Amino acid sequence: MELIATLVCGGAAVAAALLVILSRNTVHSALWMVANCLVLAVLFLLLNSQFIAVLQVIVYAGAIMMFIIYAIMMLNLRVSDDEGDVRKSLFTGRFAVLCLFFLSLLILGVGLSPMAVKGDMFPLAVSTIGEVNLIANYIFLQGLCPFELVSVLLTAAVVGAVYLARKD
Amino acid sequence: MTDYQSIYLALSAILFAIGVLGVIVRKDAIVVFLCIEIMLGAVNLAFVTFARANQSAEGLFMVMCIMAVAGAEAAVGLAIFVLLYRKTGTINIDKFNLLKY
Amino acid sequence: MFDLVWLIPSFPLAGVLINGLLGRTIEERNKSLVHWIACGAVGLSFLVTLGIFLQLLELPAEKRLYDFTWFTWISAGEFSASIGYLIDPLSMFYCMFVTGVGFLIHVYSIGYMWHDEEGYYRYFAYLNLFMFSMINLVLADNFLLMFLGWEGVGVCSYLLIAYWFSDLANAVAGKKAFITNRVGDFFFAIGLLLMVTYLGEHGVWSLKFTDVFANASLMSPNLITLICLLFFLGCTAKSAQIPLYIWLPDAMAGPTPVSALIHAATMVTAGIYFVARCNILYSMSPLAMGVVAVVGALTALLAATIALTQNDIKRVLAYSTVSQLGYMFLGLGVGAFAAGIFHVLTHSFFKALLFMCSGCVIHAMSGEQDMRNMGGLRQKMPITFYTMLIGTLAIAGFPGFSGFFSKDEILWKVFSSGPGASFLWPIAILTAALTAFYMFRLIFMTFFNECRASEEVQHHIHEAPRSMTAPLVILAFLSIFGGVIGIPASLGGNNLVEHFLDPVMGLGAGKLLQSASGTSMVQGSAHAVALHSVELEHTLMIITTGIVFLGILVAYTMYMRNRSLPDTFAAKSPSTYRMLLNKWYVDELYEKTVINPLHSISVFFWKGIDVVVIDGLVNGTAAFFMKCGVVSRAAQSGYVQRYAVSFLVGVFALIAYYMYVR
Repeated sequence: MELIATLVCGGAAVAAALLVILSRNTVHSALWMVANCLVLAVLFLLLNSQFIAVLQVIVYAGAIMMFIIYAIMMLNLRVSDDEGDVRKSLFTGRFAVLCLFFLSLLILGVGLSPMAVKGDMFPLAVSTIGEVNLIANYIFLQGLCPFELVSVLLTAAVVGAVYLARKD
Repeated sequence: MTDYQSIYLALSAILFAIGVLGVIVRKDAIVVFLCIEIMLGAVNLAFVTFARANQSAEGLFMVMCIMAVAGAEAAVGLAIFVLLYRKTGTINIDKFNLLKY
Repeated sequence: MFDLVWLIPSFPLAGVLINGLLGRTIEERNKSLVHWIACGAVGLSFLVTLGIFLQLLELPAEKRLYDFTWFTWISAGEFSASIGYLIDPLSMFYCMFVTGVGFLIHVYSIGYMWHDEEGYYRYFAYLNLFMFSMINLVLADNFLLMFLGWEGVGVCSYLLIAYWFSDLANAVAGKKAFITNRVGDFFFAIGLLLMVTYLGEHGVWSLKFTDVFANASLMSPNLITLICLLFFLGCTAKSAQIPLYIWLPDAMAGPTPVSALIHAATMVTAGIYFVARCNILYSMSPLAMGVVAVVGALTALLAATIALTQNDIKRVLAYSTVSQLGYMFLGLGVGAFAAGIFHVLTHSFFKALLFMCSGCVIHAMSGEQDMRNMGGLRQKMPITFYTMLIGTLAIAGFPGFSGFFSKDEILWKVFSSGPGASFLWPIAILTAALTAFYMFRLIFMTFFNECRASEEVQHHIHEAPRSMTAPLVILAFLSIFGGVIGIPASLGGNNLVEHFLDPVMGLGAGKLLQSASGTSMVQGSAHAVALHSVELEHTLMIITTGIVFLGILVAYTMYMRNRSLPDTFAAKSPSTYRMLLNKWYVDELYEKTVINPLHSISVFFWKGIDVVVIDGLVNGTAAFFMKCGVVSRAAQSGYVQRYAVSFLVGVFALIAYYMYVR
């Protein structure tokens, strides 16, 4: 059962991502991105990380994507002007194909190498790994310093964004 | 087929590749940004998978941090895009080659 | 007093330093101080020379040799050279007239150069530098110091010829003089190096005259001949003989006192001094002596023929100098070393006098040097006229004047020099006739008949100031009575000169008697001693005098009586006239055969090799690196996506490395 769910969600995620990069309309790209985020949240749920799944929906799909859509609206983008330099797009296009090829090699290598982790997916004893209290334990005992630094980073980002976008 | 982890990892890799492709090919700055977010999402997936496999919360914590960074990056990046749009009226990154030799 | 000999060159050196370094300020404050310093320096040198000379006379003849070593100059292993001065009859004889005539010319220069705008102190500094070099040349006790003086006088000659360098022609003349001298010096240096190397192989690592001459027999006769010929080539450049005399006529571009001092009395006689000093070496090589004699004779004749047609007053005197130098070399070449040196002395008197008088004339004529525009100056410049007439009579060899005795001595020695006499003596006699002719031509054209100058020039004609005429009078006096010291025995005199120079030259004559190798033109003195027939000598004297009178008569006829004769002669043989007027086209010949090929080679090395190869290499390297930079610039395109691609490539490389290699 989980396998079917995994495959379906995986396919949905890949399809959403492909549609993000293939859409002509910027708003459509953003919307497909929202879809991608939601599917990812489902995938997290399948991995027993409830906290992260919720976080994904709230932060990513809810805040960041909304933010991007606000920006798109503000910049009044409709159809993205993708004409550009023919020569340059050929270069990057070909290169993109090349990199995809290499990435596939990579994936194959990862898959075929003995380092791939094997094992049972859902042992019962750790079905509670995604529980919030375990994560909270980790955060406030071992990961306190990075946690605080992250908050500092967020503050800096806020200040920077406000300064950059003010009207003068 | 008891090896589900490989599926998640392969999925992560494919999503990452799509993200990279998008960054290289698309001309619109916002779409490039979206593709960066795709890449980050793929990496999140990989982290969660490994956290699940190694039975530790470290991976999940890392995912949290990555999300925070993605948020901060979105804020500052979009502010810069708005500024660029104000200055030049376009958001096509092909037009911004002022740092060339 | 002998130990004070180092003062003689030091006074002019001090003059150079003071005038050279502080001259500008001195000139602004008090202009006459400049010439007081300069003339005072030379005057003091003359006084010291006089003192040493008198002290030398007190010594008996065999003891007249004193070597004063001042300090060591070079000390390299076994070879060492020191600054030292040799006091012996030859050097003192030379030093006397060098400093004496030099002093008179310094005094003359005061009047001549006073109104010049271009640096009074510079002139006197150069002149003192010249005196310093010449004194070093003459007093040196080793070849190296002598060569130092040799080069020094060459440099000063260049500096002084090109004194008015703002006129390009003067600078070119100075350059020509210097380069021609350098060519001669090159061969001179080769001879010197050959000598020092060869003697060094035999253990004699010294360049002192006394050491070299004592060990001269260590060298094979062929080597001695080669060295003597190389030295003589250097002397031909310095003393203006064939083939390197070409610079002397052009050197007349310098101020007249310079011509008088350097190109009449002192520098050009350096070659004579050198050959006389090395008389032992030359006597050991009859071939070298023969070459010296023949070159001297031919030069004398060549220069005399050219002087017949020249119209510039200083050019005539210049060619006359070349001719007289030829005479001196002729005398040296036949073995009459003392006679040659005596002629140097008398020539310095009357040639300096002639040049200075011509300087007065040019000064009075506001710079006019062409004799065709002169004339009738006899009444307006009496002192100049009479002194110049005395000088002319002396150079022509009029009986009773100093030139007569010295020239006659040489002619006698040439006549009695054995197999070469039949070739050399007629040339010498012919030259004497030509000398008389062209010198009197000069006198008649300049001082007699009507004045052919323009009106305004005629207004300015005046006698020279006292500072200029006083040396003229002194030199005129010496031109008449200076020959007293050399009156030969056949006329009842004592020939003091010959006896005085015997310790230096007598050795040469001695070697001459000993050298018996094959046919030599110059079994000279042997014959002279054998044929010492007084009647023959008197007959020759009468012949010479007759020839001189003939020359004067012809000049009188052509330039006083029948004034159209010169043009008639020129019209009858135009090609000969043009040949003589254009100096036998020697300069043009040198230009075509030597200078142009060298120029082409230089241009080839410049354009072909220096520009293409060397500059190409250097510039090419730079251009190559620039191209590398241009190519590398393409990596920075400014497009973010291209940068992202390069990230990607790097990431792949890393991952591939970690996966497949490790």
